[in-house]
Amino acid sequence: MPKQDSSKTKDNKLTSRRDFLRSAGNYTVASLSGAAMLLSDPKPAKANVTWEEHFQKNYRLMTDEEKQQAIERLETRYTEEYGKPVTVDGSPSMEGVLFGYALNIQKCIGCRRCVKACVAENNQSRGDEQQIEWIRVLRMEKGKFSEADRDQHGYPESFGVQVGGNAYKPAGVVLEGQHYYEPEQVPEEDAFYFPMQCMQCEKPPCVKVCPVRTTYRDPDGIVVIDYNWCIGCRMCIGACPYWARRFNWGEPNLPKEEMNPVTHYLGNRPRMKGVVEKCSFCVQRTRKGRWTACVEVCPVGARKFGNLLDPNSEIRKVLAKKKVFRLRADLNTYPKFFYYMD
Amino acid sequence: MTCYRFRQTLIGLCLLLFLFTTPLLGTENQTDQECFESRDGMSQVRVEEISPGQVNVKCSSTTGGVLWWGDPFAGTIPMGDMDIEADYSTEEAVVKPREPELDKNKMLTICSMACHDGNYVPIPHSKNPRRLKMHLDTVPDALNLKHGKGNIWCLDCHHLVERTKLIDNFGYSISFNQPQKLCGKCHGQVYRSWRDGLHGKRIGMWDKGGKKRWWVCTECHNPHDVEQGERNSGFAQLRPESAPNLPKGMTNANHERMHHGAHSDGNAHE
Repeated sequence: MPKQDSSKTKDNKLTSRRDFLRSAGNYTVASLSGAAMLLSDPKPAKANVTWEEHFQKNYRLMTDEEKQQAIERLETRYTEEYGKPVTVDGSPSMEGVLFGYALNIQKCIGCRRCVKACVAENNQSRGDEQQIEWIRVLRMEKGKFSEADRDQHGYPESFGVQVGGNAYKPAGVVLEGQHYYEPEQVPEEDAFYFPMQCMQCEKPPCVKVCPVRTTYRDPDGIVVIDYNWCIGCRMCIGACPYWARRFNWGEPNLPKEEMNPVTHYLGNRPRMKGVVEKCSFCVQRTRKGRWTACVEVCPVGARKFGNLLDPNSEIRKVLAKKKVFRLRADLNTYPKFFYYMD
Repeated sequence: MTCYRFRQTLIGLCLLLFLFTTPLLGTENQTDQECFESRDGMSQVRVEEISPGQVNVKCSSTTGGVLWWGDPFAGTIPMGDMDIEADYSTEEAVVKPREPELDKNKMLTICSMACHDGNYVPIPHSKNPRRLKMHLDTVPDALNLKHGKGNIWCLDCHHLVERTKLIDNFGYSISFNQPQKLCGKCHGQVYRSWRDGLHGKRIGMWDKGGKKRWWVCTECHNPHDVEQGERNSGFAQLRPESAPNLPKGMTNANHERMHHGAHSDGNAHE
């Protein structure tokens, strides 16, 4: 089906005949198929979604040739939509590489620069209507332990049951983490910070539940999504114990001048309404050898990234020399995202 | 008719205003804007267009901090003779020179050449702390050194006669571009960790043998105030980036600040 069309899609000046055929085709299929309903959307961006794009295969099942055609279609569409040359990379998984990430929670100051750098790199939707951020930073309280807070009398008599000393006057750490902290300066004296993002699990629950297998784990350890094949059922969001996945409830808002034109098919290419997205370890950068945006921006150097299979890599040195733990290791997800302390 | 024209002009003006103000709101920034990389005021970088439509850095509109490097190696020089761990010795390691940043107005150069050449101003006989009689304006940190708890003084780090240099244990000079050689004199463990690629940060290529820009000590730490007052931490506080938007319909985030408990009276944090 997409075999003869790479030349056609490059040609933006469509003939009137082709226009006619296309719209006729659209209407016919719109009446038959739900998927093609999108084509009749009057928005120009939607109208440019080509026929082939809607009926392409699951990216993983495409031949190299089909992948190349899919990429070229997208490059043409994005270049037109965003008014600048956009590249869509299709670099496959790297040989001899297993990506790993380590984050020093002792160093993290909670400045959220990683969050914003991620947005600048990965073309997420922004603005009040729909804001998507792949990294979230939790503020954890250190707890207050003052004599005045203690209550030495246990539960009041009227409650009937005596359950012990201080149970109803909480002391110490009580809060479960704050997302919306906004102090003048960080780090605060009475807090530490805990950033979370996709853990790139070795046994990812999101991949297990995906009914269309559009999200899968590449051999270099990155759990990726083919946005075109995503049906928006959000099963993966429910399955992820780390709350790493985000859904485009509406049309993403990505201003042309802020759009990052260096993209990857499985990574930061612009998404559409109704698909799920998440951290991809900046696949468009890391498969070209470059560090991720969050690693580069961290002002305290709390973020480390590298090849777990290379015994001399920084990540392996972290694992060898520091105190390391993984989040919710009890779930047997085998995250490739490690937290550590000096 | 005039009313109509007036309205049209008004709309036009609004549109113009909108066009001019919109780019300022996002993270995208105007060229020629100045932002800071790690230490506000001491690691400045100017936004420039490196290729059509591509800038060298993108800055945060909230804090003025650099968020994104288009070219991680812009303005860097080779790190020089550093003993990087064996397996990384083949890598191309670069640093951003500190001299242009520290010697912005060429004061250091002038001081060194004009007076502190070892002849005109005598070399101090002892390194003991003393109250400076001159230059209190040019060396604002001098009387308030917060480093070493009184155990070190200016000339433990700064060269006696070359004011544009630092000094090593043998009296040889160290460039301001390689402060790690100076800091490593005392902070050996941190220095080793930095050399391993664990302490501090690097940007550029993660892969083995790839080109990396190494951040040096003074790009993140203020050597004249490493204590930061009560905090006793080497890293100065920063203004954080803005919090995520609240979910629709939620007006505040008190729910996550509530210390639950029977007698807590719903005391929100802060």
